[in-house]
Order: sequence, then structure tokens, then C-alpha cells
Amino acid sequence: MSCVRAVLLAQCLPRSRAGVQNAVLPGALFSQVPPFLPRGLHCSSSPLSSVKAPVPRPPEPGKKPGEVRAPHEELFQPAPGGARDKASFALAVQNFGRHSVRKRGHVDFIYLALRKMPEFGVERDLAAYNLLLDVFPKEVFRPRSAFQRIFTHYPRQQECGVAVLEQMERHGVMPNKETEFLLLQIFGRGSHPMLKYVRMRLWLTRFQNINPFPLPHELPQDVVELATLGLRRVEPDLSARVTVYQKSLPADTTDPVDPIQPHIVGIQSPDQQDALARHNPARPLFVEGPFSLWLRNKCVYYHILRADLPPPEEKDVEEIPEEWNLYYPMKLDLDYARSSWDDYEFDIDEVEEGPVFAICIAGAHDQETLAKWIQGLQEANPALARIPVVFRLAGSSGELRTASGLEDSRQTRREGQVDHEHLQRQQQSQS
Amino acid sequence: MEEVDSRKIDQEGKIPNDTLEKLRSLGLFGMQIPEEYGGLGLSHTMYARLGEAISLDGSITVTLAAHQAIGLKGIILVGTEEQKTRYLPRLASGEHIAAFCLTEPNSGSDAASIQTRAVLSEDKKHYILNGSKIWISNGGLASVFTVFARTKVADANGSAKDKITAFIVERDFGGVTNGKPEDKLGIRGSNTCEVHFEDTKVPVENVLGEVGGGFKLAMNILNSGRFSMGSLSAAMIKKLIEMTAEYACTRKQFNRKLSEFGLIQEKFALMAQKAYVMESMAYLTAGMLDQPGLLDCSVEAAIVKVFSSEGVWQCVSEALQILGGSGYMKDQPYERMLRDARILLIFEGTNEILRLFIALAGLQHAGRILTTRMNELKRGSVRVIMETVGQRLRDSLGQTVDMGLTGQLGLVHPSLEDSATKLEQNVYYFGRTVEALLSRFGKSIVDEQLVLKRVANILINMYGMVAVLSRASRSVRIGLRDHDHEVLLANMFCVEAYFQNLFSLSQLDKDAPENLDHQTKKIAQQILEKRAYICAHPLDRMS
Repeated sequence: MSCVRAVLLAQCLPRSRAGVQNAVLPGALFSQVPPFLPRGLHCSSSPLSSVKAPVPRPPEPGKKPGEVRAPHEELFQPAPGGARDKASFALAVQNFGRHSVRKRGHVDFIYLALRKMPEFGVERDLAAYNLLLDVFPKEVFRPRSAFQRIFTHYPRQQECGVAVLEQMERHGVMPNKETEFLLLQIFGRGSHPMLKYVRMRLWLTRFQNINPFPLPHELPQDVVELATLGLRRVEPDLSARVTVYQKSLPADTTDPVDPIQPHIVGIQSPDQQDALARHNPARPLFVEGPFSLWLRNKCVYYHILRADLPPPEEKDVEEIPEEWNLYYPMKLDLDYARSSWDDYEFDIDEVEEGPVFAICIAGAHDQETLAKWIQGLQEANPALARIPVVFRLAGSSGELRTASGLEDSRQTRREGQVDHEHLQRQQQSQS
Repeated sequence: MEEVDSRKIDQEGKIPNDTLEKLRSLGLFGMQIPEEYGGLGLSHTMYARLGEAISLDGSITVTLAAHQAIGLKGIILVGTEEQKTRYLPRLASGEHIAAFCLTEPNSGSDAASIQTRAVLSEDKKHYILNGSKIWISNGGLASVFTVFARTKVADANGSAKDKITAFIVERDFGGVTNGKPEDKLGIRGSNTCEVHFEDTKVPVENVLGEVGGGFKLAMNILNSGRFSMGSLSAAMIKKLIEMTAEYACTRKQFNRKLSEFGLIQEKFALMAQKAYVMESMAYLTAGMLDQPGLLDCSVEAAIVKVFSSEGVWQCVSEALQILGGSGYMKDQPYERMLRDARILLIFEGTNEILRLFIALAGLQHAGRILTTRMNELKRGSVRVIMETVGQRLRDSLGQTVDMGLTGQLGLVHPSLEDSATKLEQNVYYFGRTVEALLSRFGKSIVDEQLVLKRVANILINMYGMVAVLSRASRSVRIGLRDHDHEVLLANMFCVEAYFQNLFSLSQLDKDAPENLDHQTKKIAQQILEKRAYICAHPLDRMS
């Protein structure tokens, strides 16, 4: 391969000096090869860089031995005082083409750019992907004979094109006619990226509505609104009411992550309210949590207020009033019950769980915040004042900010605090 | 009745006083009150016949019905002598008007949620009544109310339970206020308003029936007032036929009279048929009620009510349609009659609830008879199993059913023989289906409302067939005028009802392809989950 390259280089050298540099105009999305350029397509226009390229550069000093800096990574360093956004991404991509029209290492550059996209926040942006596809040289990788069409022509580049499209698919970006034209120019009609594009056009349209519980595309930034969204997903009953017990106040410090007052948002439906009013005060209620709920890429944690199922002996039979319906008998006094042929009640997958009375999402996961939630719930459910509430807060690893030491002490404190809470509540209700 | 200006009553929302005076002088306020208390003492049949005459104006009919059929029925049924002598004469003369107070904001058919309370006072001579009732007909005009309230009743084993009791409350007892008359779609002349009771003192002597017996009394009152709707509706349809036939035979379009077009003729045939069936059913039921002894004709009365209300709604709609654009205008009476007829489907028990009642009452009766059979089958007695298997085999091979309606000593005139055979077949296969349903569902059939609806429809059709066949045979045999027209109407109704029944029966089979209950429930569940129509708009694109 290298000898062929050397021969081509020898042919190109005299021509390239007279050749016109192919400048990539900023802002132009297509780079068309000007027809008047009398150079070989496979030659690089600057003779010096082609000599330097085969020799690998030694790692720059000041780097850790394990960390290998990808070539062209310095293009993606933010300008001093500049933000990492779409414009700087576009600038970085264009700068790649600027320093050499041959675009050596474009495959690696494209992979690098794909990795850098989330940092710049452009992974959902179709224009960025089109810009990236534009980095490929045009007309070079198109197969020109049947033999080339049989085998994957320029497999690394085709893989790279497919990788770009895969990232688009992963982020749900729909390619458009520009992408199609670019792919056609770069890879030709029967190539793998083109096939992938055609399949994306079909299946991405069909898959737009397959989520039975769709989330809005842009998640709300406000914590309380995000909590409301999460609660509405957990409790699908449309009659349920969301109450904001406490709004999170921004602290005076610049740290927005840890406000003084965490937000508490709760949800309860009228059926749950009725069930709570009927609940036997002798059986305790448990506040369990936190359970995680993923909303796209954000995780919120919710707590539930539930009770255990009463044991079958204690379950009170629903009293059917004797004189109930004025118009027709609600109960036929016949001896026989439903035959097994028509019995659709048994479902082996359904497990009877205890009732859940309310759900909340709070900023902090400690007992004080949740106690405030219970107090807020008491306004709508006066029966809650007489029922003991046990806090069963599981410590979960990961994104919770509580230290594990505090968690252990909290769990041991829990047993002792049950009675304390009960007494506290009784005192509160009496006062 | 010709002097009544229905249009004015509809527009003003009030019946003029001189009309009420005339009704009083005719004694129409006491049609069912026995003669010794000053009423006309009419039997059920005569009451139905008079009802036909009154039915021309909906508001007057409803005012009189609310006064007599439900307002005073309680006193007539279970009132003591003293209560009767105190109230009935004045009510019969129309001096006082009665109203029936049962419905509350939270309880329509659910008697357990009545919140009006009557507490015995300390001197045990009065009940203090507190509560409010809504949608009381004659609420503004009435001075005697039959009110249903909860009282504490000591049970047999000593525990105190809340039971419903009926009271006769006069407006003079104090604390009775009524709201303003409601603005309604139809029967605008009748006065419907809320009635509030605040610390009304009701003497103990005014308890109607026994303390705690209010529920049964309410059921009896409601069940007994229904059958007259058949004759009322029939009279309305007869008047409609006259009015629209006049129009259809004079108006010409495309050089032909409207009456020559097939679709218009179909409408007239439908109206005549419905009127005939309604009349027959109503008078058959009235006749049964008039027989000596206490017969429970609540199911038949409910059937009459359901069929008549739906039939009259359909017929008034068709009559309006015959007139086309002019039927839609307010200066013609059709739109007023349509609006008045709409309430018939709702009050006195909504048609859906009555269908459930018809089906459940019948199934209860059938269930008791079949219990012994079912028990034996479950125990596996060989003889019963062989009988059942033999019967099923004969059914599937298509046996002929003979119940004595046709043939040499048949009850039905030979010109109605085919219809009678159809009725017999329907009855037989209905019996088989009911057995199958009870063995499939048992007690839990109360929850299968779609199944009960079909059973009720079959029952309504069958009762109509019975009524129509008996009336037609009688008119042929005694030689009434135009009896061949009656035979024609009877046969036509029987054929239609027969095929409708066959379809319903096929839908009641297990896993029948005609039965779309499962799909209905699934669609309803998905829509009610989102509380909206969930399909994407036809113009939506996936671009």
C-alpha cells in the first residue's frame, strides 16, 4: 500500500504546487470539489505534512503515562472565557478542515467529535451531524465498479459513517434530505451508511409514538415542575391532586444544589383519601422510600405512604346494606355462584399489595422533610392524626447525598423514634 | 282539553290558574282516590283511559301524575283511616296539591345515601326533620309532601340502625322552603324545584306506614305509578299520526304526494305499530292490576314504561322528520312534544335501571325454580344428567315447541298462527338460555349489566308479542271494526320482535361472535382512563 502511495505522491507533487487550495468556507455545509482543480484526488496538497504523518509523534510532556491524548483533541478545548456550545463545536469541526485540505485522520476525528458532542450539548442537533458528515471527502469512497460494489468499499469509513448515523438514532435525531445528499455524495447509493439512512427514515417515523407513556421532549428545569411530572407518572389517576407543600427557596450561597429548604410535592387521589379515612387506626402506616424514578436522563426519588394488608381474619366484610337500591335488587339470593368457565378473576401474576395512600417527591430524604409532608397531608386527611406513622427509609447508594454513617444511625434510631413520633403526633393533635 | 294553550304554557313555564281550576272542577285531581274520600275512585283501566285524554299536554300530565300517582299513593296504600280522612278529601278536590320528596343531591336511586334526618323530639310527640330534596315535581305548588328521611330504629336485637321512614309533611308545619323553579328542557309548565326542610316539626301521627318501612313503601309507590305511561304515549302517537297524515297527504313534491313515497309510508307504519303495541301492553297490565287480590305486576309495569318511553321518543322524532323543516320550527307543536317526550326516558326510573330490574326480577324467580335442578346436577344424579343431555340433543336437532297457543284448541286465532309459533319458539329458547346464564354466572349476574340488558330486551319484546296477539285474536273473534288491520299490525310486530329476540339470544351464548361485550368494555376502559377520545386525528402525519 505504501508503495502505491509513494508513486501517487510522486505524480501529485508537481501538480499540487500549482493547484488551488480548497478552502472550506465557514458556514457552508457542502464542500463541492471545484471541477477546475487539476490534482489527483488521493494526493494531499501540502507535501510537507505527507512526509511527517507516518512518524508517530512522541507524547507531549506533562501528561500522565496512561492517558493518551487523541489527535486533534486540542481543537475541542474551549476558548478562554468561551462556553462549550453549538457555535464552538461548529468552529472546532471547521478548524479541522482548515489546517489541511487533505483531512488526514478524519475518521478518528469524527469518532472524537462524536464522543465530544454531549459535552457541547449538540447531540440532538441535526445540523451538527450534517456538519460532521461534511468532514468526509466527497466522491472518494463511492464504488466505481461492480467489483468494488460487492465488497465493502472503504470499510473503515463506512463504519464511521454508520457510527455517526447510529449516534443520531440513539439520540432520536431524524436525518433529512441534506443528510441523504451528503451520504450519496460521500458513499454512494448501495453503501452501508445509505442503507442505514433509508432504514432510519422508515423505522424512526414508525417508532415516534411507540412509547405508551411519552415524556415531553424538554424536561422542565424547575424542580417542583419536574417533581409534578414524576408524580403524575407514578399515579396515573386523573382525579388525583398534586399539592406543593414546600417550595425550595434558593439559598444565598452560590451552590444551587443544596438549598436551605428542600421542596416537597405530594400527590393523592380522592379514592386514596377515602381509603385513608376508613383505615383502622390500630394498624400503623409506613413511609417507605426512596424509590428511584428515571425521567429520561434525570432521576427523581419518591416516597410512599402505605399500609400492610390486614390479615384475612381481620378483613372486614363489606357490609351490603339491606335496603340499598330502590329500583332493582343488588343481590340475588340464589345458592350458586359463578361457574369456573366464566371466572376470569384469577391471575397468577397479580399479587395483592397493601394500600398506598399518598406519594411524594422531596428534595431531601430525611425524616424531618418527610415529617413535614405528613403534617401537610394531615390537612386534607384529618384521620391521619390518629394513626401511627413509621418511617422506613432505606439508604440507597448512588446519587443520594447522605453519608452512609448517618444512614446507619438513622436506621437504629428508627425503632426508638417510632414511639417518639407517635407521642409527638398525639401531642400535636391534642394541642 | 282543546282549550289548553300548550305553547303558552311551554313558553311561560307555568300552568295558568284557570286551567288548574277547570281540572279541579272535572275532578281530575282525585282520580284514584276512593269515592268515600271525595275522589273519582277509578280503577286502573279507567285511569289509563282518562290518562289518554290528558296526555295532549305534557306539563299538565306530569303535574297531575306527580300529584296522584306518586304524591298521594302513599296515603292510599298504607295510610291509616285517620290520615286518609284528614288529607284525602282536600287532595281529591285539588285544594291542596301533593308532591313526592325522595331524591337528594347525592342519592338518585341509591337509598342508602339519603341524608335527610328525622329525629324524635324529647316529648316524643314530634319528629324534627332536616334536609333538602331536589327535583321535586309540584314542589312550588304543593302543600302536602311525602318525605323520606332516615330515622334511628331499634333493631330486633337491640342495636340502633338507620332506616328510612316516610312522613306526611304539610307546608304549615313550618320550616319548609322551596327554591326557584328549575329551567327545564321539556314539560316546562310543571313546577320542579328544590325543597328544603329546616327543623320542621312533624307530629308522630304523620308517620306513613311504620317507622323504618319507608324503603318498601317507596318501592311500592314507584312500581305502581308506571303503567299509565303506556296509554299516555299511545294517545300522543295517535294524535301525531293524525297531524302528520294531514300534512303528508296534502303536500306534493315531484308531482307526487308525500304519502306515496315508501320511506314516509314506513314511518307511518312504525308509528301505528308502536301505538298498537303500547296500548295493548298498557291495558293488559291495567287489567291484571285490576284483578282482585294483590298481584305484583311491577315487572310488567316496568316493561310498559320502558317500551312506551322509547317508542314515543322514536315516533315523535319520526313525525318531526316527516314534516321536515317546518317540523323543526317553534310554531309547530312537534318540537315541544319531542322535548316533553324526552323526560319519559328519565323519570320514574331511568330506562337503564328498569331494564336491570326487569331482568333481575325475572332471573330471581327463575333461579329459585332452577335451584333444585342445579343442585341435583352438581351432585351428579344420573337421571337428571340423562334428561339434560337428551334435551340438548333434541334442541340441536330442532324440535318443534308446542305450548298450546296454536292448533285445534289453540288460544290464538288461526290468522295469527305463525306469530304464535314464533312466540312459542322464542319462549322456549329463552328458557334454555336463562338456564345456561344462571349456571354460568350464578349470583354474580348482578354485575353483568350488558347481559341483563339483553335479557330485558327479550322480555320486553315477548311481553309485547303476548299483548298484541291476545288483543288481535280477541278483536277478530268478537268482530271489532278493522280487525284485519289489527291482525296485520300484530303479525308485523311479532315478526320483527322474533328476529330481534333471536339475535339477542345468539348474543347471549358463551363466546358468541355476535357478542361484542368484551370489546365494548375494553374500549370504554381505554377512553375513561384518559378521559378523552384517544385516537390520532385523521389529518395527523408522521413527517
